[in-house]
Amino acid sequence: MKLTSNEISVFILSIAMMLLFARIFGEIFRKLKQPVVIGEIIAGIILGKTFLGYYFPEIYNYLFNSSVLVEITLQGFIELTIIMLMIVTGLEVDLSIVFSQSKKASLISLFSILFPFSFGFLTVYFLPELFGNIKGEQKILFGLFIGTALSVTALPIVVRLLIDLQIFKTEIGTIIITAAMFTDIFGWIFFSFILTYFNPTFHNNNVLTQLITILIFITFIIFIGRKIFSSIIHFLEKNTISKGAVISFIFIVGFLGAAFTQSIGIHAILGAFVIGIALGDSIHLNEETREIVQQFATNIFAPIFFVSIGLKINFIQNFDVVVFFVLLILSFIGKVSGSIVGSYFGKINTNDSMIIGFGMNSYGAMQIVLSLVAKQVGLIDDKIFVSLVILAIVTSLISAPLMKLFLKKSNYQQNFIDLLNKDLIFFSDYKNKDEAIENICYKISSYHKLDFELVLNKVLEREKQMSTGLVNFVAIPHARLKIKQPIVSLTILKNEIDYGSLDNRKTRIIILILTPEDKPEIQINLLKDIAKYFNTIEISAKIINIQESSKIITTLKEIKRINKL
Amino acid sequence: MIFSKIALAITFSPNLINHLLEVKRLKELFNAELFLIHIGEKSDEKYHDLKEAFAKCGFKESDFKLIWENGEAEDLIMNICIKNKIDLLIAGALKKENMINYYLGSVARTLMREAPCSVLFLMKKNEENYSFKKICVSVDFTNISEYTALKAFELAKLENSEIVTFIKEFEIPGLASTIYESEKKDELRVRKNNLLEEEKEKMKIFISELNLSGVNISTECLIGKQGWVISNWVTENNYDLLVIPSLQRKPKLIDRIFQHDWEFIFKELPSSLLIIKSDNSEK
Repeated sequence: MKLTSNEISVFILSIAMMLLFARIFGEIFRKLKQPVVIGEIIAGIILGKTFLGYYFPEIYNYLFNSSVLVEITLQGFIELTIIMLMIVTGLEVDLSIVFSQSKKASLISLFSILFPFSFGFLTVYFLPELFGNIKGEQKILFGLFIGTALSVTALPIVVRLLIDLQIFKTEIGTIIITAAMFTDIFGWIFFSFILTYFNPTFHNNNVLTQLITILIFITFIIFIGRKIFSSIIHFLEKNTISKGAVISFIFIVGFLGAAFTQSIGIHAILGAFVIGIALGDSIHLNEETREIVQQFATNIFAPIFFVSIGLKINFIQNFDVVVFFVLLILSFIGKVSGSIVGSYFGKINTNDSMIIGFGMNSYGAMQIVLSLVAKQVGLIDDKIFVSLVILAIVTSLISAPLMKLFLKKSNYQQNFIDLLNKDLIFFSDYKNKDEAIENICYKISSYHKLDFELVLNKVLEREKQMSTGLVNFVAIPHARLKIKQPIVSLTILKNEIDYGSLDNRKTRIIILILTPEDKPEIQINLLKDIAKYFNTIEISAKIINIQESSKIITTLKEIKRINKL
Repeated sequence: MIFSKIALAITFSPNLINHLLEVKRLKELFNAELFLIHIGEKSDEKYHDLKEAFAKCGFKESDFKLIWENGEAEDLIMNICIKNKIDLLIAGALKKENMINYYLGSVARTLMREAPCSVLFLMKKNEENYSFKKICVSVDFTNISEYTALKAFELAKLENSEIVTFIKEFEIPGLASTIYESEKKDELRVRKNNLLEEEKEKMKIFISELNLSGVNISTECLIGKQGWVISNWVTENNYDLLVIPSLQRKPKLIDRIFQHDWEFIFKELPSSLLIIKSDNSEK
């Protein structure tokens, strides 16, 4: 049996159409600063049964339904894209980060899985009618799957969100990344267990054998395979000029792992994912190679996969509003409450725990791959699948705005302007630097009920080391104290004073900042931020001439907006 | 005073004389009280050899206090340090341990991970004396790393070092996965560069806040696996001493299996290594 010439052209044409639509809608979403994946899924919905199949069935049937052989070939191609996606997903999981995570990150990782998983499982178990006709043993497996699907987090979306929101290098950024990697590992391994149990070709008595095989496979690859792969990558990096050898090696080993797990009755995704993790752990696998591998797998293969999601299902007919909202509510309650409880034990404040919770609640491609595999093996029906895909889209879209909402009040948003309090903007007349510092410290101490002597001594102690007079009429005296929140005050001097500034100019603006003693990075970030605001003499001159506190804040906000600070 | 009580863990190795000479130099440099610790069975022959070595290095009996005990080396050395309030323990270390020793822990590697005070591991690069002309310090903008930087700089001043380089390493886990969502061809590189520039700015402020003077200073911000990157940098640039803060939590075997941070350095020393224990470090 082989493809006819016509079937080959239809196959190639369908791939070309999928790529074309993926590119068009992907680019539109990229321009809208939204995840490209969503554009590609929408492309699939338009190209599939929902739109093209409904309004132009002849074209749809010609492209995607004209021959069983073409369908099988396309299916094989899509399987390959899933394997590739799993290899690159594994590559980005950093085991050393996961295993060396702090107590806070461990607690959040744990509760971010435990809560959504439990909520998902228990809802299915006690209220199965919400999800359709689910009975008996299927109820447990289906519940376990929903629990797993609600526990995962899409690492690529999370990383990008954190970088865009400028919290990637903060403590909560690290916690979110670590927890996302942890949920990835948990999600895929646990899902493999579910698939093994669900596999109709295996009897209950050999399920245990299968589970033991999974564990042996993972242990071998992670403990021994990882070292061997790293040595081979090192050898290839050293002895070959192009990146081709390493890239080929990554896919060869990834495919072999996938084939192995598939052949022993476990789904191929586990083999690909575990091999990906083992390969990605190598210190010899440099960033450039990682980028090329990602580009190779995601630019051609991923769009076809995401378009294929919408091809065979009518998203309108199969959209069950109840299922979708139940899943949406469960995802929010599960992820956010899990994060709040984990944060409570990890001594992170509620505001920051909300940021973590919403950050973790973006399912993206992870959930889509998980759902597609579950649908392929018959674990879920079209209605649940559609709801899960839409859930992945919705959560990916709303994570950023929800995080931003809480970020404004967070300690990690160490933005000078957000910390500047109108009541701590002063217009004064001081004879010299000492008088100015003493008076400003007194005002801040009174306002925040701090020990004035202590504040003054700390600020003077720092001033003794080296003058904090900078350039452009600005001085930034500062100190670190036992306080929880940073404090910023701004004083406009009516007369010039000598502050020993770097540019030998007299000082007219004194920005005094006090930051928590145990978090020196907050001070560094604030100093860096303030320096950006007053980087030209014109800006300083503009501020000096303002005589109203609220106007100073408005002007600084305007400077922030114009200069994109 | 940078270190007021220093101790040398003595072994009968071919480097004994070199270590004694170096510790004598450091004692004078720091104007510190010196303890010489040897763990092993006592014998007249060994005692004679030690005395001969002391004499060869110009030690007078009043220059040091000898502590000689028999038992489990790591535990005894650590207990002696606690009991005598030693603030710098000095020991020799192999550049690289064999795999079994690395995973199970040799005396030196155990002290690197668990010593109750600062520890200096001497690793000779050439036939000349130990010297710390080029010092590299790992910093990460925490109180502990501030303390480490200040101690390292004090040492550099006493040593009259040529240069002290402060290095901030940082990882961007998962960055490659964002390539799919990138708007422009070089967006990933731009993101990386922005993060790098930001770290460089912070580094400038961090160093200026320390108000260091008297020795040439340079700074570097490097992207990559922490510990691994700085270790390679020190080797490539042929630095004499790497200074790092002590570990913040007691390491476990799993840290050696899934290596991170200092474990890369402990596995293969790039140079002599000074681990600074601050009051904030976990004891």
